[in-house]
Amino acid sequence: MADTETTPALPEHYFRHEFGRLVSVLSRRFGVHRVELCEDAVQTALLRAVQSWPQRGLPDDRSAWLYRVALNEVLGALRRAKHTDTSADDIEELAAEAGTEEAVFLENEVKDDQLRMLFVSANPGIPRESQIVFALKILCGFSIEEIALRFFQGREAIYKRLQRARAALRECIAEPQSADVGQLASRMPAVLEILYLLFTEGYSSAQPDRLIRHELCEEAIRLGRLLEEHPVGSAAPEVAALLALMYLDTARFESRVDGTGGLLLLEQQDRSLWDRELIQIGVAYLHRAARGDNFTRYHAEAAIAAEHCLAPTYQETRWAEIARLYQMLDRVSPSPINTLNRAIAIAEWQGPEAGLALLEALKPPSWLLGYYLWDATLGELYRRRGDPERAMVHLTRALDAAPTDAEKALLRRRLEACSTCSDTTLDVQRQLHD
Amino acid sequence: MSTTKSSKFLCLFRFAAAGWPAKPSSPQEMQAQYAAWKAWMTKFEKELIPGDGLTPAGAVVRGGNVTDGPYIEAKEVVASYCLVQASSLEQAAEIIKACPVGMDPNASIEIRQLGGYGG
Repeated sequence: MADTETTPALPEHYFRHEFGRLVSVLSRRFGVHRVELCEDAVQTALLRAVQSWPQRGLPDDRSAWLYRVALNEVLGALRRAKHTDTSADDIEELAAEAGTEEAVFLENEVKDDQLRMLFVSANPGIPRESQIVFALKILCGFSIEEIALRFFQGREAIYKRLQRARAALRECIAEPQSADVGQLASRMPAVLEILYLLFTEGYSSAQPDRLIRHELCEEAIRLGRLLEEHPVGSAAPEVAALLALMYLDTARFESRVDGTGGLLLLEQQDRSLWDRELIQIGVAYLHRAARGDNFTRYHAEAAIAAEHCLAPTYQETRWAEIARLYQMLDRVSPSPINTLNRAIAIAEWQGPEAGLALLEALKPPSWLLGYYLWDATLGELYRRRGDPERAMVHLTRALDAAPTDAEKALLRRRLEACSTCSDTTLDVQRQLHD
Repeated sequence: MSTTKSSKFLCLFRFAAAGWPAKPSSPQEMQAQYAAWKAWMTKFEKELIPGDGLTPAGAVVRGGNVTDGPYIEAKEVVASYCLVQASSLEQAAEIIKACPVGMDPNASIEIRQLGGYGG
């Protein structure tokens, strides 16, 4: 028996990440149309590790140990299926090749394999929502239950999405083996969108458990870095821009809630809680992103996040610059939400009147009218302009439409502030009249 | 020789046949299981003599006839075993109670003192 006392503990998320690495390596070897088989094999290998390592100690090369077990599982399953699965004809050939591969189980190749898998999940034949679920399952090693929990959805819905991705990949027997990441580079926009949505889901979803959400942000950053370290990713400035955005947002992750889990506005956040180290990394990525002539939404959003991160106080924020950046964002990624955000910046810069003028000139689509932030913003700007009656109408509507308890609580506080402010206004008026 | 007389105990880990092999855990759950096992084994490093897990492959010989499977019609299957070195049955039970499987309502662990007849 190995000396368990000197056996180092496994790194955090070791099994999840090892799952992603091994499934990627095996799927390259045996084809993405066999990804489910590879998943089962890796699952078994991890289970063996759980049963054996605590007793016998960790093997010298854990990854090679897991790879060997998983590889034998895949080969065993393919040999058993040989009678029914004609696509397994090449099995002995594959077995011979895979046997020699153990020697070249190199870190760089493993990274390439994971990246290839990320581009495989961005297959245009798979709907976006299925791509994300597939990436979380295969590359991040989350189970269906764990994804459902993170996405605040039912297990069935997640399972269906996953199966849609797998079904699409079963069709493309040739693609993943022949294509390397360079050949799949045209999928970069889809890959970035997957990472962006993954991050956003973690950063601002309705899931109340912050730890769970933080994990999604971590995974998006981990995969983003994997991409940036590869020549295909480092050649694309928008990858650095997305990383900048993710780091600059993550730096403020914890400061957005108070001690009791209530939401805090940017204005109320304790800036000393912002993670300076993450801000530095984010700013460095933003500098790296500032090249070429492809200005993306990630550039604009990262630049806005940087403005907030670098402002010493809320009052000293460069609101004119932020208003300009929202305009630029709207040019590359048009949405009335950008106008809404620009109105907030302009209100800080030039006063509530100017912000309201922008919103009143906007013809909001009906979905925006039902969006709680539309009413919340209007309510706040009317309140500041000294129009508490109108402010209360909008804040009440926002309160009805707010998706989470934390947001409802925030709006309720504002509504209360508004009604007291409304009383004082009346008092002032009464005094004047008296 | 140690002054406390210590004995060896065979511990048989049994699971409800309906639930074994158990539904696969997620990698995240497996990491938690690994940590739990490692903590237990480190705590009782001196007392535990690791055994092994048992695979579903097996046969039963009865009256000269060999039949498939170790657990046909059985309600429970023996899934793994280990040995414990302890001064008493009570102490062995304390050690096994602290084991991660000891908390599982679908599992039971039979502890039997070795006779030492082999000398």
